Amino acid sequence: MSLPGARALSAAAIAALTGLLVYAFLSAESERTVGLVAVGAVVAVAGGLRSRVLPRLVEAAGPPAVLLGLGAAAVVLVRVFHDDPFVLLLMARALLVLVACLGLHVQLADAGVPNFAGAAFFGVGGYTAAVLGRGALPHPLVLLASGAAAAAVGSLLLLPLLRTRGHYAALITIAFGLLFRTFLEVNETLGGPQGLKLGGLQILGWSFNDDRQLLGVDFSGYAFYCLAAVALAFGAVWLVRRLERSWIGLALDAVRLDETAAACFGISIGRWKIAAFTIGNALIGVAGALSAMMVGFIAPNNFTFQESLVLVSILLLGGLGNLAGLAAAALIVVWLPEKLQPIQEYRYLLFSVLVVLVLVLRPGGLIRRTVRRPFGRVAG
Amino acid sequence: MDLLAQYVMNGVMLGLMYALVALGFTLFFGVLDVVQFAHGDVLTAGAFAGLAAYAALVQAGVQSPVLQLLGVVLAATLSMALLGALLGRLLVLPLRGAPALNVLLATLMGGTALRECIRLFYPGGSQPQRFPALLPSASWSMGRFTLRLDNVLMIVAGVALVVGLSLVLRRTRLGLAIRAVAQDEETARTMGIDFRRVVLLTFAIGSALAAFAGVMNGLYYNEINFGSGLLLGVIGFSAAVLGGLGSFEGAVLGGFLFAGLQTLGAVALPFASAYKDVFAFTVVILLMTWKPTGLIGERLGERV
Amino acid sequence: MSAAEALLMTRGLTRQFGGLVALAGLDLEVRRGELLGLIGPNGSGKTTFFNVLTGLFPPTQGEVLFAGASLGRATPQAIHRAGITRTFQRSRLCLELSIFDNLAIGAHQRLEHGLWFNVARRSALARQADATAAAATELLELFDPPLARRLFEPMTGVAMIDRRRVEVCRALMSRPRLLLLDEPSAGMTADETTRLMDDILEVRRRFGDLTIVLIEHEMSVIERVTDRCVVLNYGKKLCEGTFAEVSADPEVRRAYLGLT
Repeated sequence: MSLPGARALSAAAIAALTGLLVYAFLSAESERTVGLVAVGAVVAVAGGLRSRVLPRLVEAAGPPAVLLGLGAAAVVLVRVFHDDPFVLLLMARALLVLVACLGLHVQLADAGVPNFAGAAFFGVGGYTAAVLGRGALPHPLVLLASGAAAAAVGSLLLLPLLRTRGHYAALITIAFGLLFRTFLEVNETLGGPQGLKLGGLQILGWSFNDDRQLLGVDFSGYAFYCLAAVALAFGAVWLVRRLERSWIGLALDAVRLDETAAACFGISIGRWKIAAFTIGNALIGVAGALSAMMVGFIAPNNFTFQESLVLVSILLLGGLGNLAGLAAAALIVVWLPEKLQPIQEYRYLLFSVLVVLVLVLRPGGLIRRTVRRPFGRVAG
Repeated sequence: MDLLAQYVMNGVMLGLMYALVALGFTLFFGVLDVVQFAHGDVLTAGAFAGLAAYAALVQAGVQSPVLQLLGVVLAATLSMALLGALLGRLLVLPLRGAPALNVLLATLMGGTALRECIRLFYPGGSQPQRFPALLPSASWSMGRFTLRLDNVLMIVAGVALVVGLSLVLRRTRLGLAIRAVAQDEETARTMGIDFRRVVLLTFAIGSALAAFAGVMNGLYYNEINFGSGLLLGVIGFSAAVLGGLGSFEGAVLGGFLFAGLQTLGAVALPFASAYKDVFAFTVVILLMTWKPTGLIGERLGERV
Repeated sequence: MSAAEALLMTRGLTRQFGGLVALAGLDLEVRRGELLGLIGPNGSGKTTFFNVLTGLFPPTQGEVLFAGASLGRATPQAIHRAGITRTFQRSRLCLELSIFDNLAIGAHQRLEHGLWFNVARRSALARQADATAAAATELLELFDPPLARRLFEPMTGVAMIDRRRVEVCRALMSRPRLLLLDEPSAGMTADETTRLMDDILEVRRRFGDLTIVLIEHEMSVIERVTDRCVVLNYGKKLCEGTFAEVSADPEVRRAYLGLT
């Protein structure tokens, strides 16, 4: 039983700690400083986990308060970096990758449906935004439509996915991920290898691309995209957490853990795999659309199979099923190669080796945290 | 007519290459029920090993193309046999108890690591590398179609390998051990078969086959590329799946079937031959939807 | 055996796996409200019978009538809806989840699964969760009150006998009409088995309209709890009757003990 005061304090503590670490990392100039901050962050977090301080803080605050705190920290960081487009872009990118990975999380970690074409669905969202954004459709609807388009393209794969198991199902998304780029490059109507240009996000005449002054502070255009990304990430985490802590989450778990038993208790395997795959792709698509609008440009080269593997790597590095780990992994995977230029070239090698090590060295494979599902009042 | 002959020749070459890769997949699946997704990248690594051997031989003053070819093939197959066994020992065997997805992910990532190592550490690895033409360049003209000796030699060699593998599996003690393990691991063990040895040897053999296919690939296109293994691996896997994972005949059938689909795609869509892969994979996916365990079929069973 | 009394009836039920004939023209009746024992040597088709009944394998030939209606090639989900549930020979619980989660899976068909309900109407969801927890607790208390107090603990920390109890409770959560128990006492001591069977009998008393088919190898259990038995051999019904009748039957003795 925690007092509202204690709850707010714990949440504030977590938010402050995270905000400070992120600030230190993103504002570090020399590579040495970056390295030191990274190591320091790892030590701090590991120490916090080992000594049970961090988990206890999170428990005391309650996840909703933690989320609010982190959201507030993100907004504060946007204010702090108000005219540094490079950092703002990095923050936004990390958040959008997080949203895409949340989509993969619903598919793989919740329903057990592997998706090796994550980058392809990200691209579907982006290309849809590119095509629809030129028209008269208001941009918030364009974002939604992009999510729907990604879900629709994904539904093409559903029938083969449902009829097959394990490796065979994986092959289908791998083949799709490999061929998506080829398909785009050959297709002149979608810009071919050069890709397409996008006008930026505009809501009710308010263009996100422009630098503005607000409350006496100069904000780079990217600041607003960053805020949009914070809002999207916040919404995605909220949605996924609610899904997991509900009968839907339970049905997905049952399908993932034992299809035979689930079927014998009336759970429709097909319905839930479809639901997870669709919701996941929709999230990925929306993230892809916002990303494309932010960057102003989209090309087949960004959506390779390799990039899909990076998304899956983030899930694995963060610990499959662990949302906090997922967020941390997304930040590291996006930011580290950008801040440490020497490893930029080596990032695919680095991530693949790390994932292999995680898979081989963790006893019993990827141990998922036990899911507590006390979403009734009695259970608390 | 001549165009048809050209397509046929192309299809046979590709089919043979795919069959060699698919055989590897089917062997690994047979003995361990695993899909080794780094297999395609092993193919590429083999080709690069061969290329490196060629460069070393030339440097050492070896002029004879026969010796060079021998060196290339030996270097490729032996090094990849070793690498394959290593991958089996370090990545696949330790993950036996874990869910099947873990092995898939581990080998997928392992393949990526291998691919990146080639790209980053082989001199000029990020660019396509010229592969030497080590086979005699004689050819016979038949109308407008040219029958090249090097292609014939490669086809003969490839077929010999497939037949050779079949003989090894059916006539030798090792082959018997492999088939025993593939059928029933526990019984094979109680019969005194050294499970680990058989598994590692299977990995070695399969990887050597892939390396040979890699050299074939290089000789046929006169070029190798660090990234080509990925697509070839997925094609090989699709071919093995089409024919039914675990089935020798299925792998060969699947390889030629996929090549046939690609050729069909190229013929039917001459304006966009890049679509041939999309076409071929779409058909594969449709076939898998119709027959989820392959055309010849793997026995999918689960004790309830 | 009139159709009105028979809750379940199979006619010529056959199931083949390639060359292996697991069920060979099985004719069997289960009367409403009874506790029927299903016995037979290993490989006689008992579990296969359950698997075909619950829709995991379609019958190669023959038919199954449940409450007068043919099950045809119904899916496992449809069969669950019709009111048939089961436990598994090899315990199939989701060990990653909590006891409550596993039991809630059993109650799946009575839970609301709409997207809006689960994401937006959280207080209604909480009420349904509490109701499910109450029902789960009530069932568990029949078997073992201390177990009921551990409702939200993960399954990994639960002992084997308790896992079996949870499995039986999971099958009871949907208030089935027909409960199929596949060797529920496997791996238990004699005392634990006695307790489990007592609890199952108690459940039967409480839930008036519950018919049970019990696969067991422990003859003492069969003798004590069953109203009737059916003996299977090579996928066919060898004999049926009370335990006393069946155990005295020379055919049965030959099949089990090789005596002539």
